[in-house]
Amino acid sequence: MATEFDKPPHWWGSFTLPHEQSLQWRIGPLTLIVHCLEGERHIGHQRTADFDSDDSTWEFQLADQLPETLENSSRYIFSKMVKRLTLTPRLADRPIISRPRVPFNLTAGEEVTLYVSLPLWLELALETSPVTVLEEIPIQRPSDTWFGPSTLEGELCYASSTHCRINLAELPQRVHRAITPVLIRNRADTTLTVERLNLPAPLLSVFAGADGQLWTPKVTLIRGKDGDMAELKIDDKAPVQAESPELLSQPRNTANTGVLIRAFNAVFS
Amino acid sequence: MSEYWSEIVSFLSSEKLWAVTRAFIVVIIGLVTAKLASSGISRVASKKIDTHRAMVLKRGSYYLILILFLITALHQLGFNLSVLLGAAGIFSVAIGFASQTSASNLISGLFLVAERPFTVGDTIRVGTTMGEVLSIDPLSVKLRTYDNLFVRIPNESLIKSEVTTVSRFPIRRADLLVGVAYKEDLKKVRAVLEEVADKNPLSLEEPKPRYIFQGFGDSSLDIQFSVWAKRENFLDLKNSIYEEIKIAFDEQGIEIPFPHRTLYTGSVTEPFPIKNTDNEPSDNT
Repeated sequence: MATEFDKPPHWWGSFTLPHEQSLQWRIGPLTLIVHCLEGERHIGHQRTADFDSDDSTWEFQLADQLPETLENSSRYIFSKMVKRLTLTPRLADRPIISRPRVPFNLTAGEEVTLYVSLPLWLELALETSPVTVLEEIPIQRPSDTWFGPSTLEGELCYASSTHCRINLAELPQRVHRAITPVLIRNRADTTLTVERLNLPAPLLSVFAGADGQLWTPKVTLIRGKDGDMAELKIDDKAPVQAESPELLSQPRNTANTGVLIRAFNAVFS
Repeated sequence: MSEYWSEIVSFLSSEKLWAVTRAFIVVIIGLVTAKLASSGISRVASKKIDTHRAMVLKRGSYYLILILFLITALHQLGFNLSVLLGAAGIFSVAIGFASQTSASNLISGLFLVAERPFTVGDTIRVGTTMGEVLSIDPLSVKLRTYDNLFVRIPNESLIKSEVTTVSRFPIRRADLLVGVAYKEDLKKVRAVLEEVADKNPLSLEEPKPRYIFQGFGDSSLDIQFSVWAKRENFLDLKNSIYEEIKIAFDEQGIEIPFPHRTLYTGSVTEPFPIKNTDNEPSDNT
């Protein structure tokens, strides 16, 4: 039985936990339920749609009862009940391999800014001091993939296919994905064919624009003159496309930020 | 009786007692020092090297320090060490002949440590035994199998036989064997299999799943469909993807045949006569 409730402006942020009721979100393909009982909290989630679902809506409601079936449910018991819960969008803990649906070529000296959308995770935390993180749930579970020259050398990543659009207006606005502007500059004398792009998701923070769109800082990939090395640069602020941006989450790994020089085949493929 | 007593008194008042006491104290100090030093070395080293090397370093340093202290103790007792070492040489030859198997295991153990085909914590398969390596000792390697049995494998047999280290690389390939009926369209079967792999998040997108047509089987068209997974997800992928293949085949009307036999009486003979009857067979027959 759902109760009338003022819809919050975004699916993320701080929420008051009710008594003997449950908070229910549907964010794109994910349904998340936090059921509050005396001395305990139940957190459950399930996904309804495919990974490439373009379902970009989100809903929020306060309900008295739990749904009959709830997959992936976990129970937390507390001696002191904390009344506030925070939902934060975060990026993946592994790099994301973005595969353009159609590979593209960049001739010598050319540069382009692409808009790539990255899948998000949501972090559930209790507002204690320090914050108690309860769970991290991928809104969409991206497929695993391997990025490296052979099966012996490389790293485990997540895969995400993308249109790699060059016009931002064509990109569908999806509440459960963050947009990353990627500037690719080909300084080498030969044509660069981009079949896969390795985007360092653990080094990116998440910003929210005034319109509710989620963004990450701009990533610049420069193919060096000799063609063997690639320079990777991550901005430390929100992209210019985001209107009055608000920082929602810090990067998972801040140790390796700045300008990074990597082997060409560690970034492009 | 008084002779014994006077001997005891003279022994107690002699230098010998002092030498024995000193030797004893040296051995005790040696034991304590070896224990503390090896633990300390292992603790410091374990931050920089793997468990297996730390364990070898710990044992090596323990025995080295202990041997040095034992030699010092023997020296205190007045033993001539050069004679003792000569005697030890002859003794070790005799022991070597007597304990060929142990010596062989010991030497194989040294090669195993040097070659490092696996380390403590790895999962290995030796013959039909598969399990996690608990320890690599001078004479044998101890495993814990997945049905929680403790298996001791002599080092010699590890050196001689084929050992597979399952947990060496981060990704693994699962070879799925699928059979479909002869009437099925193989292009459609391939497309369905590729879609199933694409939708399963545990199946790696790269390296791409591989479709191999194995041949015309007795009852089915045999296909090997190989998918890659993160090592830890290997079994989960195998279980989930077989289930998904079955569901997808059922949805698409692709038949997975069971072995069947067609009775045929030859081209010149008539087919078997079949009589259709409504009567239930009698229980008395």
